[in-house]
Amino acid sequence: MTRHLVRLIWNRKRQNLLLTIEILCSFLVLFVVILIGLNFSVNASKTLGFDTDRVWSVDVGRPPSPNARADEAAAKAAEARERETFQRLLVAARELPQIEIAAVAFTAPYINASWESGLELADGRKIDYLYNRVGDDFTRVFSMPIEAGRGFSREDDAAAADPVLINVELARKVFGNANPVGQVIPQKFDKAQKPADPPQRKKRVVGVIEDFRQHGKYSMPQPVLIDRLRLDVEDGGRAERIVIRLKPGTTASFEPVLVRRLQREAADWSFEVSTMEHLKERKHSDYIMPLTVLAILAGFLLLMVTLGLTGVVWQSVIQRLREFGLRRAAGASGRSVRGQVMAEMAVMTTFAVLAGVLLVGQLPFLPLPEDLVIPGGVFAAAIALSAAAIYCLTLACGWYPSRLAARMPPAEALRYE
Amino acid sequence: MLRHYLTMTIAVLKRRPFYTAISLFGISFTLLVLMVVTAMADHALAPMAPESRQDRMLGVVSARMFGPDNAWSSNGGYMLFDKHARNLPGVEELTIFSSWQTVSTYLGDQRITSNIKRTDGAFWRVFDFTFLEGSPYSQADVDEARFVAVLTRATREKLFSGQPALGKTFEADGQTFRVVGVVENVPDIRIVPYADFYVPTTTSKSDAYKREIMGGFIAVALARTTDDLPKIREEFNARLTRITLPDKSYTTLVAPFETKYDTIARESPFADRQSPDRQGPKLTLLLVILALLFVTLPTVNLVNVNISRILERASEIGVRKAFGAPMRTLVAQFVVENVFLTLLGGALGLVLSAFVLRALNQSGFIAHSAFTINARVFAYAVLLAIGFGLISGVYPAWRMARLRPVEALKGGPSR
Repeated sequence: MTRHLVRLIWNRKRQNLLLTIEILCSFLVLFVVILIGLNFSVNASKTLGFDTDRVWSVDVGRPPSPNARADEAAAKAAEARERETFQRLLVAARELPQIEIAAVAFTAPYINASWESGLELADGRKIDYLYNRVGDDFTRVFSMPIEAGRGFSREDDAAAADPVLINVELARKVFGNANPVGQVIPQKFDKAQKPADPPQRKKRVVGVIEDFRQHGKYSMPQPVLIDRLRLDVEDGGRAERIVIRLKPGTTASFEPVLVRRLQREAADWSFEVSTMEHLKERKHSDYIMPLTVLAILAGFLLLMVTLGLTGVVWQSVIQRLREFGLRRAAGASGRSVRGQVMAEMAVMTTFAVLAGVLLVGQLPFLPLPEDLVIPGGVFAAAIALSAAAIYCLTLACGWYPSRLAARMPPAEALRYE
Repeated sequence: MLRHYLTMTIAVLKRRPFYTAISLFGISFTLLVLMVVTAMADHALAPMAPESRQDRMLGVVSARMFGPDNAWSSNGGYMLFDKHARNLPGVEELTIFSSWQTVSTYLGDQRITSNIKRTDGAFWRVFDFTFLEGSPYSQADVDEARFVAVLTRATREKLFSGQPALGKTFEADGQTFRVVGVVENVPDIRIVPYADFYVPTTTSKSDAYKREIMGGFIAVALARTTDDLPKIREEFNARLTRITLPDKSYTTLVAPFETKYDTIARESPFADRQSPDRQGPKLTLLLVILALLFVTLPTVNLVNVNISRILERASEIGVRKAFGAPMRTLVAQFVVENVFLTLLGGALGLVLSAFVLRALNQSGFIAHSAFTINARVFAYAVLLAIGFGLISGVYPAWRMARLRPVEALKGGPSR
């Protein structure tokens, strides 16, 4: 039976090839939309690792500082003054009665500035991670759940190795099942280092955070490493913003009060307040907007394909009515004629889906950056879903024309013009 | 002959309304998407106020420094342009202004966020803003660091509820400015001149920017004639190679004077950002490939529908062939039919895209945008429709013309 079907399809190969190409293109379009959508929804179900309720971020802008390589002494002096000003700002913020906790940071959740870095382990493995540098209390501002160990504190002031926080994923990658708290990350240090480069320092894990998915719930979870930012020493890291958690009941009217208070400490600096709620919306729409546009386009394309395929199958059924009539006259039931039309559709779809799977199956072999690599499970599920959807679509296209073929009385079909 | 074809076409289209409807749906949707994209690109790139003299303008929007291990990408710095871009040959006017920064204004409890641009006096001579009130500030205002500002209409709406604002003051980022002029809104996809209000460069909180090679500034040169453009580009690139960079870890500085399209192309994927050469052609190639990818599915769909229609008309073709109609005539007839159909679909798409563009304008998706179908976009639309009609019509026409008369009379090919 199958052989017979394939031969029938082969007999009309030119037209069927074009139809198969059309189904293949539809499969690819559907696959892209389903893959992205599925990946977002899987990501959204994972833990975020922070809570932005009542949190504001104050973006601190300051005049450009002298270039360190041009005039080292001037650059150092300017940097010391900046740190001092920053300390005054932090103290001023903490003294305001509306503020519960305040901390300095390089970057914060939903903020576009991000820093990707990597480390090479002693066993030769390279791990890329999302980097941040934050002051003490940052984990408390964002109510970040700490799985093991503790957040940064003054205890770390005298530590010989740099204290770091890592997320569960990085802990698993570096230490496997062993307890990472108190351990030094086994880094491979570059022996042939140039004297101009900053000294390579050991990193000791003081705590493991659940996660810190800076780009929000739709982003891919990735390893995270956070350094401690200090304003009281040289090379303590560059602070870019102050994050604050407000006391419950504080309204937006506090914003000008806060900015004017900070402005008093540093007249030639600029302050830009954003609520985390607003930043979150903007970040989420960065993910959702392109997907929405893509989905609308794909929806229209598929509607177009559905109508087109229905028309084509209809026409070919009408053209083959005499063939069907003959089969009916020779004793085939209406149902088996109908089955033939649907089965031909299914065989073509199978060819298209096989070709499609072969094509998209190449994707995991492309050298993509790690944060673009989609987990195998999601990838397979997306293939299965889009294949199922394509079968539904093509069979729906064959449904009405095949009914037409089955309904036609044999005598009428044989003399149909 | 053409009239005859058209009469035939209309007769055929009327005979099978279902096929006509599905073809028209596919065509009009495909062309709708292409037209909306074209109208948006036109709005971002075509010369219009305040960039009416765009064909004589070149700008440096991005500056990049490269070293063996490092790359630094940002805008150029004020000193780069002030020291090295003055007195370029063929330049009528050079303006140096900041890329925009966000500042906040507090009116009671309410916060208003604005994008601010700090400019020199020449800015108002290079760009032709439409003034609704007052006039621009002068170079003297800039030199004296007067706290004056030119607002856009939308900003006047926000700060002064749309009342005349001339002479009134407002506070932004802790500084107080006096309004000297109000201009028409600039859509924010006109990235170079766009801002919510404009103030003199010298009102910056610190004058450290004056000593910077990199960061925060854009320069736009207005050439005397379009013939001067290559000269300006080459001379500035030559000057850049002679600059000693302040930071030893970088060896080259790439900050060419470019047209707007080339500037955008420099930021696109596959652009060679290390080269001062024009990147526009690469972007054009990329866009053409993307457009072709997009029309693949609609084309295959239309080809399939068209082939179905041909087979349906097999006996008509058979009769005509039997009476000696040459292949050429049949192909021409079918291609004309198809182009006529796509033009019809294109007209439909054009009407639909006008609605989509209006919805986009009203949604505020792109601030202050005013996407419209103008004569230029219309011309592109007609070209797109004809192109689409040819691509999707040629193969079915060829199939049709190859039908053998006997087979065709029998009702289609056996294989």
